[in-house]
Amino acid sequence: MHFLLQVVVSGLAAGCVYGLVAIGHGLVYRLTGTVYLALGDVIGLGIFTTLLVAAGTGPVTQTSVSTGRFLLALAVGVVVCVVAGAGGYLFAVQPFLQRGSTLGWVGGTLALAFAIHAAIESFFPRSGYVFPDPIPFRRLGEAGYVVVGDTSFQVRTVYVAGIALALAALAALAIDRTPSGRGMQAIASDREGALVVGVPVERLVALAFGLAGGVAAVASITAAPSAPVSADTGTLLGVKGLAAALVVRFGPAWLAFAAGAAYGLLEAAIANVSLGDLELGPEYSAVIPLALVLLLVAARPPRDALEDVE
Amino acid sequence: MTTVEALRDAGRDARLAWGLGAWLALGTLLLASLVPVSGIRVDGLAQTGYLAVAAVGLGFAVGIGGMPSVAQGAFVGFGAVAAGHLIDWGTPAVVAAVLGALTAGVGGVVVGAAVARFRPVYVVAGTWIATWIFAFALDGFPWLSGGARGLTVSPDEIVGLEPTATLHYELALGLVAVSLLAHRTLARSSFGICLRAAGQRPAAAVALGVRPERLRLGAFAGAAAVGGLAGGFAVQLDAVVDPDAYGASLSFTLLVGVLVGGAATALGPVVGVFAVGALSLVADAIARLTGTESARFSPMLAALLLLSVLATGSEGIVPAIAAKLRRSRAPEPDRAAPSGRPANARLKARGLEKRFGELVAVRDLDLELGSQRVAALVGPNGSGKTTALRVLAGTLLPERGTISLDGRELTGTPANERVELGLVRTLQSNAVFPDLTALENALVGASLRRRYGGALRTLFATPKARAEARETRARALAALAAVRLDERASALAGTLTGSEQRLLMIASALATEPRLLLLDEPSAGAGRAELDRLAELLGRLRAEGFAVLAVEHNLRLVRRIADEVVVLDAGAPLASGTPAEVVGDRAVRAAYLGRQSL
Repeated sequence: MHFLLQVVVSGLAAGCVYGLVAIGHGLVYRLTGTVYLALGDVIGLGIFTTLLVAAGTGPVTQTSVSTGRFLLALAVGVVVCVVAGAGGYLFAVQPFLQRGSTLGWVGGTLALAFAIHAAIESFFPRSGYVFPDPIPFRRLGEAGYVVVGDTSFQVRTVYVAGIALALAALAALAIDRTPSGRGMQAIASDREGALVVGVPVERLVALAFGLAGGVAAVASITAAPSAPVSADTGTLLGVKGLAAALVVRFGPAWLAFAAGAAYGLLEAAIANVSLGDLELGPEYSAVIPLALVLLLVAARPPRDALEDVE
Repeated sequence: MTTVEALRDAGRDARLAWGLGAWLALGTLLLASLVPVSGIRVDGLAQTGYLAVAAVGLGFAVGIGGMPSVAQGAFVGFGAVAAGHLIDWGTPAVVAAVLGALTAGVGGVVVGAAVARFRPVYVVAGTWIATWIFAFALDGFPWLSGGARGLTVSPDEIVGLEPTATLHYELALGLVAVSLLAHRTLARSSFGICLRAAGQRPAAAVALGVRPERLRLGAFAGAAAVGGLAGGFAVQLDAVVDPDAYGASLSFTLLVGVLVGGAATALGPVVGVFAVGALSLVADAIARLTGTESARFSPMLAALLLLSVLATGSEGIVPAIAAKLRRSRAPEPDRAAPSGRPANARLKARGLEKRFGELVAVRDLDLELGSQRVAALVGPNGSGKTTALRVLAGTLLPERGTISLDGRELTGTPANERVELGLVRTLQSNAVFPDLTALENALVGASLRRRYGGALRTLFATPKARAEARETRARALAALAAVRLDERASALAGTLTGSEQRLLMIASALATEPRLLLLDEPSAGAGRAELDRLAELLGRLRAEGFAVLAVEHNLRLVRRIADEVVVLDAGAPLASGTPAEVVGDRAVRAAYLGRQSL
């Protein structure tokens, strides 16, 4: 019981953020048949733009930013993120899809990812930055921690998970209920058909690329004060989100979210597990889940992964 | 045979196997490595040379194998880490590098077993995950990477020589030359041609008996091993295993090199990697001016270089230059081998049934095909003709019924084994391999029966492999001659007319040395003259002893060439017999023929 609680409180918040990234990967794959390798770094761009506007590139403490300025920074960060995502589609993906060049979009999205990563690193060269926290969770419990039995956890993990869940529900609802969302579903099932009946295909796909990053960025920014952030933060979110999306075969939003949450819980379980003398620890929590995903995809490949032999 | 003739033959074989261009490149590089380098950063050049070797390997997987791998940096890391530990334990430098290559090759087999059969988009996803698994492992496990300070690697000697930067530079250039030679050789061999075919039209390649998964796994693992070899030597030059050096950014740099230089050529990756290397000098200069670390600008500049090359829609530097230099090549000088008569064959199908969910596509179908007979399968659209052909060829398994060839049960045998047994099918659409020449298209089929055509035998140009390569070419040319396309042997298949492409599909099928041919609408889109040509060809094939089953819409052609006609309606046979008998059948007229006069 103690172990389970420990896993849930330490893995849930991260997992919910992975889930939102996985929703983005799934949406992009279903609309364009591509893997959005720059998604993580686009999210990183959102995080660091927010940090830049909120506190500049110098050292910050969690308390040094006013709520007003933080909200402004959040808005700027998300807008930059959405614009970068949509721009990434228009410049690094769409031209190559039109030409049927897989190498083109792979190279394009990777180049975008590394360009963004390098840009973040040149402004924020240190290996970790404290992210300002506009909500005073540190006043709750003992300096932000609550003790249940012999497990202590940060109060804000509950908040992060809640925000992420709300965003995921919103995303799923938007895809199901709004005209734009239904347009995206039409594109996913039959692109030519959608074009014929007048769905603005290019605009909606660009929007999807933008929102895929933007929505995940909001959740990442919410989670960012929990631990120092670096240029790698976004990149790793992208990789783990992709792994979660692969598990559910780029499936629908709620499934992708669940996969992301499960991924986070698995990470936490591996980091905390001790079987007799064997303690795995955090270094295994990075490697084992990814290896399991690769194994799973290899053992039970999705139908659309295999070459079409007629 | 005189000595002179034997020598001439050997020279021609070597040229065919390895290619003149590769010899020239090899000679140039060997000469270059002897030119003394001074005043420039030799260690930087050597390091770039090793990267170029890894990129040539990646270029083969990407350009020939059609697998856009983003894991090559990890395989370089495999080689580097393994070689680093081995040298630490006292293994000689070269042995350590070779064992590093083997380790990377094993890693390549493991990752390749997962992704090599996937479509490119899943190859990207899978190799991206693999890259990060390796990066996390290096980052997290000190025993693997040597901890925070890294594992120091300092061999005393390399084959008795002092391990200076200059020695590494010469070694790197030598390895570049050898890897180029290997790339050229394999790309033009049966192995390479079948790989390219499988990348362009998987279904058509499988129909000719190619096994794409096996070939791709070989290419992927081979590319990984080449990367590991480069890493195994490069780590000795670095003198330390740097855990941060083999992450995603190395995979990215190598892919940039391949794409900028040109993925489809041997030389492209080398040119591309040196272009990226030159950029890093620019990055150094910017860094000195701005007083920051150059490592920040290198990936940025590489990304910009790649985006600008991609934006022009170019295939890379080398193909762009080659396109300017290319002249029309002389026709292939070889002779076609006279083809023997196919052995007798008897194919029997009894009570075949195939369902797709609720839909019954074929039911109660009996068929018999024999040598020197042409049978036609006719019927309205959607009556199950192509499905029947696919069941016979083995790309679909029937729910009920049996198929036998010469009395041997065949019902569950996979398609590629049926091709080996002499039962081959052409596809309905124009499924030639557009970026291969007509001769290479036929070679895909002709390669099926090669026994000594594997990648290693080809690389070492063993006598058996050379002799067999000659026979295979002759057989491919004979197949082209059989459909009267030998004049167009060196034309790219994509530039042929529609009906020429259909004839080429038949030629590729003939090159597998079949006994039974299953042809799916060979006459589609053919004009009058082309129909005559096709009718003549089918007549000749029958006379030579083949058994032919053609799905055909053109009833005039059916009447001219068929000995027997089977009419399908809604998946079930409606009538069968000679063309005259079938035409007289009232049910047939009512169901189908009434709409079209014979």
